[in-house]
Amino acid sequence: MRALVIQALALLAHQAGAFCGFYVAKADATLFNDRSEIILVRDGQRTILTMSNDFKGDVKDFALVVPVPSVLQRDDIKVVERRVFDALDAYSAPRLVEYYDENPCAQWRYAEMDAQESMAAPLSNTATRKMEMSAKDKGVTIEARYTVGEYDILILSATESVGLKDWLVENGYRIPQAAHEVLDPYIKSNLKFFVVKVNLDQLSATGFNTLRPIQIRFDSHKFMLPIRLGMANSNGSQDMIVHAFTRTGRVECVNYRTVKVPTDRNIPLFVKQRFGPFYKDLFARAHRREGRNTVFLEYAWTVTPSFNGMKCDPCVGPPPMTREFAQAGADWSQQGAPTFYTRMHVRYARDRFPQDLVFQVTPNTEHFQARYVLTHPAQGDLTCSEGQDYLEGLFYRRHRELEELNALTGWDVEKHRDYASEVKKRMSPEQLKKMEAPWVLPFSGPGGPSAPLIIALAASVALLLHKILDRRGQLKQPSVTA
Amino acid sequence: MPSLITFFRRDARHFQIIFLAGFLAYGIVALQWDAEWLRYAILFGSCLSVQAIFIRWRRLPWHSIKSAMVTGLGMSLLLKANAPWVLVLAAVVAIASKFLIRIDDKHVFNPGNLGIAAAVLLTGEAWVSPGQWGSGAALVFLVGAAGCMVVLRVGRIDTSLAFLGAFAALDFARQVLYLGWEPEVWLHRMTNGSLLLFSFFMITDPMTTPKARGARIGWSIAIAVLAFVLGWRWWVNATPIWALLIVSAITPVLDRIWKGEAFLWIKPEPLKTIPN
Repeated sequence: MRALVIQALALLAHQAGAFCGFYVAKADATLFNDRSEIILVRDGQRTILTMSNDFKGDVKDFALVVPVPSVLQRDDIKVVERRVFDALDAYSAPRLVEYYDENPCAQWRYAEMDAQESMAAPLSNTATRKMEMSAKDKGVTIEARYTVGEYDILILSATESVGLKDWLVENGYRIPQAAHEVLDPYIKSNLKFFVVKVNLDQLSATGFNTLRPIQIRFDSHKFMLPIRLGMANSNGSQDMIVHAFTRTGRVECVNYRTVKVPTDRNIPLFVKQRFGPFYKDLFARAHRREGRNTVFLEYAWTVTPSFNGMKCDPCVGPPPMTREFAQAGADWSQQGAPTFYTRMHVRYARDRFPQDLVFQVTPNTEHFQARYVLTHPAQGDLTCSEGQDYLEGLFYRRHRELEELNALTGWDVEKHRDYASEVKKRMSPEQLKKMEAPWVLPFSGPGGPSAPLIIALAASVALLLHKILDRRGQLKQPSVTA
Repeated sequence: MPSLITFFRRDARHFQIIFLAGFLAYGIVALQWDAEWLRYAILFGSCLSVQAIFIRWRRLPWHSIKSAMVTGLGMSLLLKANAPWVLVLAAVVAIASKFLIRIDDKHVFNPGNLGIAAAVLLTGEAWVSPGQWGSGAALVFLVGAAGCMVVLRVGRIDTSLAFLGAFAALDFARQVLYLGWEPEVWLHRMTNGSLLLFSFFMITDPMTTPKARGARIGWSIAIAVLAFVLGWRWWVNATPIWALLIVSAITPVLDRIWKGEAFLWIKPEPLKTIPN
């Protein structure tokens, strides 16, 4: 058995990422927030939300506004290492599996490859006073103010959206024109606003040149993600990966459909080099097919440390450590308590996602992973008769793989016809003659039903129907009387 | 052919069975549900078996097996579980409740509703997925049209309309008038397939709705109000199911105050001589 792990492919290389809040720039730099990654832990009424900032602009322009259900305390806010996301991503990403055919003339071997979706300042006193006075005028209250890691954080409450919008603009947050329409329902729902800017001094002190993910925790009945705010400054669609952890089972969306991405498909070998684009196109096609308003399930697995079943099949990268789970907010897993991991991928746009995403925790512990299978042909001498039959089967299998590829991604497979026909070169003239004999129907290749079977089946169904109708007197035989 | 049509028109449950089976097929074919044949078989089989036991025991007419088919199909559409025994429990509770929890010779709880509630609340191994239907326009039309057909035949369109009307009005008031969301947010919520299915196929069960029309309308509005409050205040999912369960408990009281005619699935027809 030969296992070979091929390095991660950069897949779905999107630009910057938006979270369910919205990034707002202080300068007039145009930002495209197409991608975000979050960890969503739900334990009873407690939610722990970690947001990864794949922010590509100048860090001093970075700003984030997230509606939250309560005024967060200092201890409710943390900065976590980006590698937590990387570890989770590596573990749960859609993956490519390789199998090796045995030589029939002379054992499953497999290798794996992952389609990792690698995604990849305290204010002066006078400024503070000014901010507060202005806030009061506009019906905005600064409920709390913290500096956590490289971030300056404000928790705001507001009485009306225009005031909040004006205040944010006045304080250097560039707010999309349409934002106040979205802010209004949140204000009326009694939500507070978690507002983040980068503290440049702290950032240089951390020695990091990228922004680390921010984690917040709060208790609330509400188990939702306010995606509407993030759509206020984006005209196209955005992608969001949600890594969800619960004690009981899968997380699913309650106001949109949660659909599995196509999985366990046999695809041609040449996809190996282009697995990134393959999955990207597969996802886009599935997204369109499902009406562009579904949440996709990419992974669902029990990750309890003591779980005896397969933790991953095959594993992509090292299994996440309980330490990573704890950092993600699922701290109970360190005590060995049951932990379930759900990965969802949602591509949303304003027209198809009018409502924020609402989730529920279910006891559903059914496992799922997105995997695509490559099968390498047998090597060596295949001239024996079994070998020749094997080649015939291989020819049909490769045809099916091409059709599968076309169905999954919409790729034009005509130019890859060689992939199937090259198999014929290894077949003897007799085998070719046998294969191309006229009575062989196109669907009669090994693996498909044979023609005689289909004919026999059709005949018996017809006979049965005839019998039934006849008994009911519906079908009268013409009498052969003179 | 005419005899087939007459056969179907004789009992509204025939339409219920066809439409519910149709929705299940739609879910599997068009909405990519996992076709869990074992789950459907267990629910359906258990419902029929329990019903058959009671039919034998209580010497009831065999056509009542159709009610168990409706319950089995309805639960197949809604209830999911980790283990087969949970499904069996749901089916047993659902069907047995019809015979065991009776007041004034009428069963109190909607069987499917009680079965689902029992499985979800008692075992913690079952759940419902309110999002499984999405909010597709075609689906809305389908459920609406099919539902209208069935409830019109049963004569319980008042129940559906009162519930949907009240629920929609309350939600519009909250989402659009108060919170200020665009009407399409409200529309998205109202076109949820689970809500429509509930409105036309669960709440309308003529055996468990109040007998008098006025009481029925009030009862439906009470379910709508409770469902709305549970969702808004406590963020509960699948609220109509819980609201129906709670409000069903007062149905016998309503029936005592406002008298009405008892419902029969098959109305006795004048005897006709059928030429053989």
